Amino acid sequence: MKAALAPSSLTSLSYRTNSSSFRSSLLFRSPSSSASMTTTTTRGNVAVAAAATSTEALRKGIAEFYNETSGLWEEIWGDHMHHGFYDPDSSVQLSDSGHREAQIRMIEESLRFAGVTTDEEEEKNIKKIVDVGCGIGGSSRYLASKFGAESIGITLSPVQANRANDLAAAQSLAHKVSFQVADALDQPFEDGKFDLVWSMESGEHMPDKAKFVNELVRVVAPGGRIIIVTWCHRNLSAGEKALQPWEQNLLDKICKTFYLPAWCSTDDYVHLLQSHSLQDIKCADWSENVAPFWPAVIRTALTWKGLVSLLRSGMKSIKGALTMPLMIEGYKKGVIKFGIITCRKPL
Amino acid sequence: MRLITHNMLSCNIKGVTNGFPLRIEAGNVIEKEVDFNPDFIRHMFAKLEWKALVEGARSMGYAELPEDSPDAAVLESDESFLKKLHHALLELHLEEGALVCPKTGRKFPVNKGIPNMLLHEDEV
Repeated sequence: MKAALAPSSLTSLSYRTNSSSFRSSLLFRSPSSSASMTTTTTRGNVAVAAAATSTEALRKGIAEFYNETSGLWEEIWGDHMHHGFYDPDSSVQLSDSGHREAQIRMIEESLRFAGVTTDEEEEKNIKKIVDVGCGIGGSSRYLASKFGAESIGITLSPVQANRANDLAAAQSLAHKVSFQVADALDQPFEDGKFDLVWSMESGEHMPDKAKFVNELVRVVAPGGRIIIVTWCHRNLSAGEKALQPWEQNLLDKICKTFYLPAWCSTDDYVHLLQSHSLQDIKCADWSENVAPFWPAVIRTALTWKGLVSLLRSGMKSIKGALTMPLMIEGYKKGVIKFGIITCRKPL
Repeated sequence: MRLITHNMLSCNIKGVTNGFPLRIEAGNVIEKEVDFNPDFIRHMFAKLEWKALVEGARSMGYAELPEDSPDAAVLESDESFLKKLHHALLELHLEEGALVCPKTGRKFPVNKGIPNMLLHEDEV
């Protein structure tokens, strides 16, 4: 399992903690136990092993990022914090509602790809759903409503959890969905509880992809499905040990502002899933289907309302907005891929 | 946090093999009315950990549930039972308090109805 995430397939990342009293750059290598991570300065000298603080710092960074930006996102884009799914080469300028529809379509296409909605029996059997990295609960509410199931969402951000609960109450779904502050890498659930394990654009934040996949596999019920929709870097070709330096640099810049610790490829996820005894492992590259998304987000940011809201929200939001063109560049140059990976746990 | 959620939560501190159910320390419990949907309640019943629910409800001040899990027949015929189950599962909210690991005593705080289940570095 670890071989699939050999240092070659993870970009290394220079990551500064927000601690004001010292600066250290952390190189995230192969995510074995966090105790073995070392810190180095940008000049490559080994400094203090601050492994424990690096994971805490990342968790804190992610929580603060979403505490700050969620409200802004919701104001402009609504309660789904993920890409829309579009027909490839759709050059039509979509309205705001067109993009919201595309976000719903993303959910439906993911379910369809995973084989959930193509099977009536399977649909009926979905009683418990976990939304890993739930944001303000858009997916949870949609899925709970669609399947008449109970959905539990987990997020690192207390602000998001609160907002998610408020929205659930407002939509009369409070009895079907609930939200907690918890870590996707250490989920507060017993084994095999969920018929559907849903991770919509949260995998990017996981510093330890192997542990992340372990948890997803642990909490899914026998016969249940896992659906991972996530940003990846391109698959490495045979004989390639790592991304090109310019590709890694591009990803590093994005990582800093969006609190992404490590990128892996769709192939890496497939290998991780294969290392557990799972059935029906499938993956696809949906990069073409999400192409209109970032330009649309930038357009909304550049409206009068968008700019004012950004300035009001704070530095993290502003930096986030400034980083968005890099996402477009990443997609255009084939470095960044939008991937879906699904599988099923045997009965 | 409602009991329907509590019934799913467990403590996953490293080394803890049976971190379920979490004990409830009720600080502030409020009641919020939810529309009664008997089919939903019947559906949920099948997957409930009954003892955990009864103990949890008691901790939140509600002692109307029977100690033992009733038969399926009761579910079909006894609407007053279904209503009690509905009330316990969905209408009692722990707004402030804590969830306590049954093995280690570690407290997970509940604020504004939201449990914080994040583990510390030395617990993973």
